[in-house]
Amino acid sequence: MNLAELEKQVTRLEDIQEIENLQRMYGYYFDIGRYQEVIDLFSENTESVEITDHGVFRGKEGVNRMYAGMVGMKRPGWMFFEVIQSQGVIEVAPDGKTATGRWYTPAFECRPFGGTKKQTWEFGVYSNEYVKENGRWYFKKLHWNLIYWTSYERGFLKVPKLSDTPFPHADAPATAYHPYPSGYHVPFPFKHPVTGQ
Amino acid sequence: MNIEELEKQVQLAEDIQEIEHLQRTYGYYFDNNMWAEILDLFSDNAESVEIADHGVLYGKKGVERIYMDVIGGRNRPPRDSWVQFIVMQIGGVVDVAPDGKTAEGRFQTWLFEAKPYGAYPRAEYLHGYYENKYVKENGKWKFSKLHWNNTFCSPVEDGWLNLPLMGWMPLPGVDEPPSAFHPYPYHRGNVPYHFKHPVTGK
Repeated sequence: MNLAELEKQVTRLEDIQEIENLQRMYGYYFDIGRYQEVIDLFSENTESVEITDHGVFRGKEGVNRMYAGMVGMKRPGWMFFEVIQSQGVIEVAPDGKTATGRWYTPAFECRPFGGTKKQTWEFGVYSNEYVKENGRWYFKKLHWNLIYWTSYERGFLKVPKLSDTPFPHADAPATAYHPYPSGYHVPFPFKHPVTGQ
Repeated sequence: MNIEELEKQVQLAEDIQEIEHLQRTYGYYFDNNMWAEILDLFSDNAESVEIADHGVLYGKKGVERIYMDVIGGRNRPPRDSWVQFIVMQIGGVVDVAPDGKTAEGRFQTWLFEAKPYGAYPRAEYLHGYYENKYVKENGKWKFSKLHWNNTFCSPVEDGWLNLPLMGWMPLPGVDEPPSAFHPYPYHRGNVPYHFKHPVTGK
């Protein structure tokens, strides 16, 4: 391997590390309601953000609109969303300018529900795209798809989803919202490492 | 990029990998009551260890006390096998200092525990965050400071909303009281993040 090839290999490793950090920081900012910091992790050329059945929000303007209602919102301490960013599989494109990533997210939550506080489990999958601009990785597309959203006490077999939550100000309806037990999974961004299919 | 620059980049990648493994290894030893092995993961010059509301213990001596005596119970009979502490080590964001000698890392944890509570065995879920420091000595990464802050510790039957904290566990004779122990629903942002925002730098 010559120096140029080696440099390419090292850059690829660094890219994967930086994207993993980006995704985990998103989680750490989201957990404590720092939504402006979340918005700042997205590229100015963002394609879209789509979370559960809220719908598709296009462009950086859509990112702002999606999270804007949450920025500066005073949340009582009991309301919380601990989203565990785990099990990333990151693939950087051969040109090193874009990447995809799939992640699993168990989540602990507590939120108002019909006038009461409700503790809930949530589980979902990210299928995200990232872009490198000026030497730095950003979110280009974020899609988190729900598998279940259930009450703590009853579990996903009995109550796969507590309610529907479409946002009226989305640009388009959700593209892949088929919670448990549909068996649906968002298509994998990656190819099988052995068979290539 | 010349060979020296490249070597530095590779070194950084290796350092992050080694620190992530150090943190995960800590978890695997913890799960299996391997307290002496945990002690050896700490630098002899360790600054402090702080776990939940036990309080702050300084130095390697404090590290030894908390793992070997308090949690490990080396002078107590061995634990029953149903007593369990599974601590999942998740989501590391590790930053190595420019000189490559120290590092900081944030992780989060999801725990599955079973332990005696009063007279009864109880199973509980816990959640928490680490903000840790590491030091490289003789080419090996070690813990120099460990701080695990507890978000909730709740019986499986009740959950965090109904019973955020099963009980207080302050230790007598610690060096300082806990620095940031405010469990759910007062937990938000207790321990500052060591990292800067990657885009805004704030």
